[in-house]
Amino acid sequence: MNRDVLIWCLAAVAVISVAAVVALVVRNRALGARKRQAEEELTRQLADAERRFSTVLADLQRFRGEQEGALREAERTAEESTKAVLKGAVRFLQSLAAEQTTLLDGIQRRYGGHAVLADLLDVNHATAQMARKAQGIAVMCGAPLGRRSQAASVYDVVRSAQGQIRNFNRVEIMQQSGIALKASAVAPVALAVAELLDNAASFSQHDAPIEVTFQRVQGNLCIVIDDAGVGMSDEDRQKATVLLSGGTVPRLSQLGAQPKFGLPVVGLIAHQYGFKVDVTGVSRYGGVRAVVLLPEELWTMEETPPPAQETPVRRIRRIPSAEEAPEDRTVHGLPKRGERQAPTAGATDAGGASAKGTRPFKKGPRGAGGLAAIQRGTMSGRAVEVPSSEGTEDA
Amino acid sequence: MSDGPDEELELTSPLVPLFVIAKGRDLPADHEYEHTALVTARDGASAAAARALSPEARKVMDLIADGFLSVAEVSGHTHLPLGIVRILLAQLEEDGLILVRKPIPRVERVERELLSAVLDGLRTKFGA
Repeated sequence: MNRDVLIWCLAAVAVISVAAVVALVVRNRALGARKRQAEEELTRQLADAERRFSTVLADLQRFRGEQEGALREAERTAEESTKAVLKGAVRFLQSLAAEQTTLLDGIQRRYGGHAVLADLLDVNHATAQMARKAQGIAVMCGAPLGRRSQAASVYDVVRSAQGQIRNFNRVEIMQQSGIALKASAVAPVALAVAELLDNAASFSQHDAPIEVTFQRVQGNLCIVIDDAGVGMSDEDRQKATVLLSGGTVPRLSQLGAQPKFGLPVVGLIAHQYGFKVDVTGVSRYGGVRAVVLLPEELWTMEETPPPAQETPVRRIRRIPSAEEAPEDRTVHGLPKRGERQAPTAGATDAGGASAKGTRPFKKGPRGAGGLAAIQRGTMSGRAVEVPSSEGTEDA
Repeated sequence: MSDGPDEELELTSPLVPLFVIAKGRDLPADHEYEHTALVTARDGASAAAARALSPEARKVMDLIADGFLSVAEVSGHTHLPLGIVRILLAQLEEDGLILVRKPIPRVERVERELLSAVLDGLRTKFGA
């Protein structure tokens, strides 16, 4: 009996525990499913968030790119418009400087015998320096250089450059080479050399010489500029080389309040006109050696200026002869001489010379023998200013 | 490059300015190298010294190589202003390349009247 009860009890316990286990398993499964569901949901959300994040990031980057582009564009247009304004202004300056130089040259020739010439030369020097600055700014903002229409000897081109710097007397041009630069190369090479000379002058002591020599190396013509300055550091050299390559155009806005145009200008011109400039060498004085290397297309071996009209020059011989003296006066037609033609023409009274406008004097009685005529001729030749005393002599 | 709508500026002034030809020297004093002074190349003017001259100075040397020429005429033939020629001549004389013969000064001219008066006086005193 007791056993039965026990068995029943056991059976009941077993059934209950089985039921409990089943209930637990079922619950566990349900929990697992819910967990999985939740996990899936979360992963989906995460993916979603990531997607959104990446689009936002892409947007941000796009915006940033656009902004940078806009900034760059704005800078470029600012640079362009600055250049355009400057270009207009500098062209005005350029043509004024050119006009002034031409005017000054005319004035110097007109008043060449006057003491004012010394001052005019100084003014011309100042103008030449101003013209160089104007040309430099023109190059920096992409305006064309003034152009020369005639070929010129490289010696004259360097002399032209020499005149464009302040202490031009320090420049010594060592040899003349009989090499001519083509017309198109004259102005750019002169400007480049002028800037290099200016550099050489400003980076060396104010009385140290600057030497210019010419060398021909393998079909190239080299203009070599040696200064006695302090030389350059390696860093400076590298910077200079970059500037002189002409590849990168420095921005006007980066030049600063005291712009150093020199090397950028040289680099740009060299790039435009097809020559090379190098400043990495060391001069024989320990300073900088700048070399302008001109390829064959820019120069020729011809002697440049064809000798202008050969008027025969008749000099007064050391022993003047009677026939020669009057001829001396008539050939040249210089104003002072012209006035004196009359009395000297009288020396060869019978000769052809008297045919030329000697009317008032020809009439006068001339007791002049050969010797007196020679003497008169020589005297009037040597002292044109002296008022003629012929009248009284002849009387 | 130098293209674009704006045409290029033509530079018409002489390439080598006069102050470079004068090498920055001052004008000589007024009484030196007057325009009637005569100049000639010195006989011993060495070719070596002449080679180092500027083209303008060499042209002057060529002009006066074998005879006297007045300063004014040198100026006329070289197409250089008188002042520039005087500066060049000063340099050449400094280098010992030329001889300069100054014009006969005005004071040396004698007055004919004065001379004949003296002559008359002598004649009356000593008899002709």
